[in-house]
Formats: sequence, C-alpha cells, structure tokens
Amino acid sequence: MVDIVTIAFYLGVIAYSAAATLFFMELARKDGGAARALWAPRLLALGGALHALHVVTASLLSRVCPIDSLHFALSFSALIAVGAYLALRERLRLSALGAFVAPIALTFLVGAQFVGQSNEAALGVSRTLLMFHIAANVLGIGLFLIAGAAGSVYLLQERRLRTKKRVAAMGSRLPPLEALDTTTHHLLLAGFPLLTFGVVTGAVFSQQMTNSGGAESLRSLLGYATWLLLATVLVLRKTAGFRGRKAAYGTLAGVFCMLLVLLMYVVRANGGSNL
Amino acid sequence: MIVVVGLSHRTAPIAVRETLVLDAAGLPDFLRTLVQRPEVGEALLISTCNRVELVAAGRSGFDSDLPQVAKACVDALAVHSPGIAPHLYAHVGGPAVRHLFRVAASLDSMVLGEPQILGQVKEAYEVARQAGTVGSVLHRTLPRAIRAAKRVRTETVIGSGQVSVPSVAVDLTREIFGDLTGHCALLVGSGEMAEAVARLLKVGGAQVVVVGRTLSRAEELANAVGGTARPWSALSQSLVEADVVVTSTSAPHFVIDYDMVSAARRARRGKNQFFIDLAVPRDVEPRIETLDGEFLYNIDDLSKVVSDSLSTRTREAASAEAIVTREAEGYDRWADAEQATPTIVQLRARLSAALEEELSRSLRGRLKHLPEGDRAALLKMLESAVNRLLHQPTIRLRQAAIDRSQDGLSLDQLSAAISELFAFDAEIEAVSATENALPEVEADAENSGLSLAPKARVVASRS
Repeated sequence: MVDIVTIAFYLGVIAYSAAATLFFMELARKDGGAARALWAPRLLALGGALHALHVVTASLLSRVCPIDSLHFALSFSALIAVGAYLALRERLRLSALGAFVAPIALTFLVGAQFVGQSNEAALGVSRTLLMFHIAANVLGIGLFLIAGAAGSVYLLQERRLRTKKRVAAMGSRLPPLEALDTTTHHLLLAGFPLLTFGVVTGAVFSQQMTNSGGAESLRSLLGYATWLLLATVLVLRKTAGFRGRKAAYGTLAGVFCMLLVLLMYVVRANGGSNL
Repeated sequence: MIVVVGLSHRTAPIAVRETLVLDAAGLPDFLRTLVQRPEVGEALLISTCNRVELVAAGRSGFDSDLPQVAKACVDALAVHSPGIAPHLYAHVGGPAVRHLFRVAASLDSMVLGEPQILGQVKEAYEVARQAGTVGSVLHRTLPRAIRAAKRVRTETVIGSGQVSVPSVAVDLTREIFGDLTGHCALLVGSGEMAEAVARLLKVGGAQVVVVGRTLSRAEELANAVGGTARPWSALSQSLVEADVVVTSTSAPHFVIDYDMVSAARRARRGKNQFFIDLAVPRDVEPRIETLDGEFLYNIDDLSKVVSDSLSTRTREAASAEAIVTREAEGYDRWADAEQATPTIVQLRARLSAALEEELSRSLRGRLKHLPEGDRAALLKMLESAVNRLLHQPTIRLRQAAIDRSQDGLSLDQLSAAISELFAFDAEIEAVSATENALPEVEADAENSGLSLAPKARVVASRS
C-alpha cells in the first residue's frame, strides 16, 4: 500500500508537471500545436486520477477520512478544481485555463505533503460540524480556484484585445471574454453558499475554542473579508451591472484572501499557532 | 511519375482563366476522353478560381514518356479553350510532383496558407476516382500530396490568423463573445466591407440590424444580408441592443460619440460591446475605448492584424517549403524504387507460372488423389517458396533503382541480366505470336482450381 501511495504521488507530480508545461507551450507556441493541445488535458486528467488514487490510498493507510484532515483537504481542493476544469473546458472553450489549473494542482499536491495534521477535534468543537465545515470549504476552495484562474485569464485576454498587441500572434488560443466572465460568475454563485457555510461554522468554532489567539482572529477576519468581497462582486453584478474587468479584479481579491486563510491554516498545522 | 499542365493566377489573368471553365457535370467525361488518348493513362483536374491544372500519368505507369503525356494534356486543354496555350505551363517528373505538393500545401496560392485548396485537391481526386481515371500512379501520388499538405498545416502556423479585414473583424468578435448565436450586430451605414462583415456575422448566427440615413437604402442592405432595417432616429436605441456595431458611413464627423456609448453602456448594464469602425473619416469617437467593456477597432487596427498574419505566414513559408521538399524527396525515392517493379513482376510471374504449371500437371497425374484441403496447402507452400526466392532479388533491385551512385550494378544492368537469363523478350515475342498457347496454361490453372499469382500480375507481365 505504501508503494502505491508513493508511486501515485510521484506519477501524479510528473503528469501535472507535463500538463502544465504543455499548456504553457500551447499558449506560447510559434508553430503548430495540435498534439500539445490534445495531450495537455489528457495528462491533467491522468494527474487528477493519480492524485485521487494517492489521496484515497494515503487516507486509508493513515486511517483518516480525507475531509477530516487539513493535509488531505488541501489536496482534495485541487482535485475539485481539476475536475471542474475538465468538466467545463470543452463546453465553454476554456482550454487555456489549464495553464493556471495544472500548476495550482501541482502546488497543492506537493504542498500538502509539507502540511502536518491539525487537531481541530481536540480544540473542543463538534466533530460532525467540523467535517461539514471542511467539506464545504474544500468544495468552495476548488470552485474559487477555477474562478480565480478564469478571472486572471479574463484580465489577460481583455488587456490583449484592448492594447491590440499580439492579436494576430495569439489567435483564438485564449477563451472568449464572455465565456470567462460567465464561468467566473457561475463558479462564484456555486461556491458562495459553501463559503457562507464555512464562514458561519468557522465563526461558531472560534467562539467555542478556548485558546483562540491573535492568529485565529486574523484568520477569521480574512475569512470574513473573502466572504464580503465575493458577496460584493455578486451583489453589484446583479444590481449595478458590475461585470467584466471589475468583477475579475473583485474575484481575484476574494480568492487572494481565501488563499491567505489557507496559508494561515497551513502555518498553524505546522506548529505555528503561536503567531 | 506525373505531369502537371495548367494555368494559374501566376501565368494567366482572370480574363484568360475564366475561359477555361469545366463544369462539374462535364468533368468526368472530359477526364475519360483524355485517358482514351494513347499517351495518357490517368488524369485528374484541380479547378479553383485561381488555377486549373491537369495532373496526369502515362499508360506505362512510371516508365511512361512524360513529355508526350504533357503534350497530350496541353492539346486537350487547348482544344477545350482555344487561346489559352500561351498561358499554360507544364511540369514533368520530379518538378511536377513538387509543384503538386506545393499546390496542395497552399504554398502556390494567391493567399498563402489559405485552407480551401486542400479540400479542392481532395475533391478533384474523388471526382477522378469516380470517373475511373485514376490508376496506380495517381493513387499513390495524391495521398502523398495530401499528407504533405496536412503536415504543413499541423507543423507550421502557415494557416494561422485571418488575412482579410472582414474575417479579422469577425474573429475578434468571437474572441469577445464566443458563439455569436443570439447576439445582435448593428450595421450603421453601407459599404462593401461593412456588408461583408455583416454577412459573416449573420452566418455566425448573429441577428443583424441595419440603420441608415436613407431607410430605403437600409432596407435594401438589410435584405441583402438577411437583417432588419431601422430608421436613423433609432440609432441610440439600437446601440443599447447591439453587442457588435459595424460602422461605415461617409459622414465627415463622428456619428457615434462618447456620450451615446456611455448612455448605452449604462442601459446595457456593463455588458461588453465591440465597435468595428470601417469608415474614413472615422465614425466612432476613439475616447469610448476608455469605457470599461467597450472595445474599438478601426480600419488601421484591423489592417495591422491582417498585415501581422500575412507576415507570420510568410515567415512560416520557409518551414513549409522544407516539409514539402522532404516529402517530395521521399516520393522521388519511392518512385525510383517503383521502376524496379516491372522486372520484379515479370520475375514473379515467371516463377509462379512455372510452378503453377508443374503443380497442375502433378495434380492431374500422380497427385490426383489429393483432397481440396491438401491442394490448398500445397499451393500455399509454393506461394511461400516464391516469396522467399524473390525476397533478396526484390530488395536488390529496389536498392539499385534508388541508389544510382552505387558501385555495383545499376537497375538497367540487373534488369537486362534477369531479362536475358529468363528470356523475357523471347517470351513476349512468343506470347504475341502464339496467342493460343496462353489460354492452355490458364485453362490448366482454372481446371485445377489453383492459381499462384493474381491474374492482373500475369497479364501485366505479358503486356
């Protein structure tokens, strides 16, 4: 079993790396790239499958439910992002997003190896609620990662069309602006209830925890900021036609806050709770 | 080998090219008539708006007298359209193959890298196949030309980008909106280029609205592009509905200014809008570009994209030429090797015939008792023996055909030696002198129900 965990991990890293390389080469290509365009998503899917195998076998080995551990939850978020991307890419012509998704998946797969086990249950919070809290956050993070990637590509594509540079050279390799904008919006809509649940349950845990310090408060604050930023993006889109570039910037700001929250979790899990 | 005879935009003006029109219905008959000429064995015709070319091969396959084949093709075209002869060119042998490969790869097109030509070459091949005018040479040449063209398209970006202003405008529209179905395109004013853009947008699925100062003219244009017409007074309202705005008026001032777009943008709740300003002087105030979600390309911007695409294609042409050269060289080697085929066929036919005759005799005599299964096994064994016997000679003959600089014997020398040893010439003379000797052998083979070689091969060796 240990061998399978290790082999799946390394093969997953190789597949994600190869996919990321091919996606970047496809974006920067100067010659025909039919093979690259074909193999990049296949390798990403293979990486996702190996990643899933790694998470499942590793969690079985350590007798830990994947969503009951920060270590696996981080890994799982990236898997959700990969799955969402692969499901949406053909329908919405989002192939170029792979250049963001593959490195994110690679970072999370490798990064999770350096994250120790947090011990939330020992902090006196409900174990069932904690599992729902983590599950909602894992799903939400996965969706927001793709939303962030779509927002980033939107800004690149918009800038390219506005400045009229490399218009002929890039051709139609980047997705259409409307597809990116709509994808970002739909992912925010799908992820927002999960985020809300995560923030509310997180607030409950903060109240219950006896040893919450400054770092915990900062983490909560960043969680609220994420929620507020993304809520603002959604509300303003509905009420004031807040879309396109502004929506992309708002989404990126929210995703950045979310990543800071994740970073704080990681630091705490690695023994830095006295920050 | 092949010949290519025809004319193109490089050798004939349109006034000449349009005289050489072969309608689709009459093309098969034209090709069949051509291959009835004694020199021509195979033919197909590539016909586009920029070229008409006959690709032909002789009756004797790779050994044909190609200049005679070319002359027959020139005559056929000149008879069909008198007066074109001074504009015709003829490529023979290797240069013809290279020319065909370049044509299929769009390296000889008026617009370098245009994608239609490959489809037209495939269509020409298919028409000739159905007309029954394609034989072994063209059956092997055309797929190689198509393969070379596909390699050029996949391994270079010679076909990247658009090279006309209307196509670039529509491509950019797709980069903003993706699928155009359900999107509204507003055409302000008239103009040939604007009309072309509107037509392409309509084909892409957009609804086209035409606004003009003269309603009757707007209606006329709307009918032409499959849209609806509105009076000039509806311009501001139409701006709110339009995702794409194509302007091409002759007004000396901006007809769409910042305030109009700003107001429309508020009403559109920030949805993206793309302005294609094809007019000189410009119709759309450039300041609208500062508004979020508003994109503006004028004729200079679009021409710059066209120019960049053309530059890219020109740069890629060198790589494409290299691919075509490699493919043509590969074809030459293969065609050289094919020159050994008649000798190999003769040799095989001779061995097969001898063994077949002996086998038939035995099966009528001492081996008469053998059941069908054993007879078939015996035949298979002899067939394998022929293959094994001919394996090395085949390799040596093909090698001699390809490598002309080798120190050993040339293909001609080897063929002559084989011909002498097996008395092929005497056999041909005997066959033509005594036709009745042949059916006897064939009848024997038929009676025994066995044959070592395909009939076509035996016939080929005797012709």
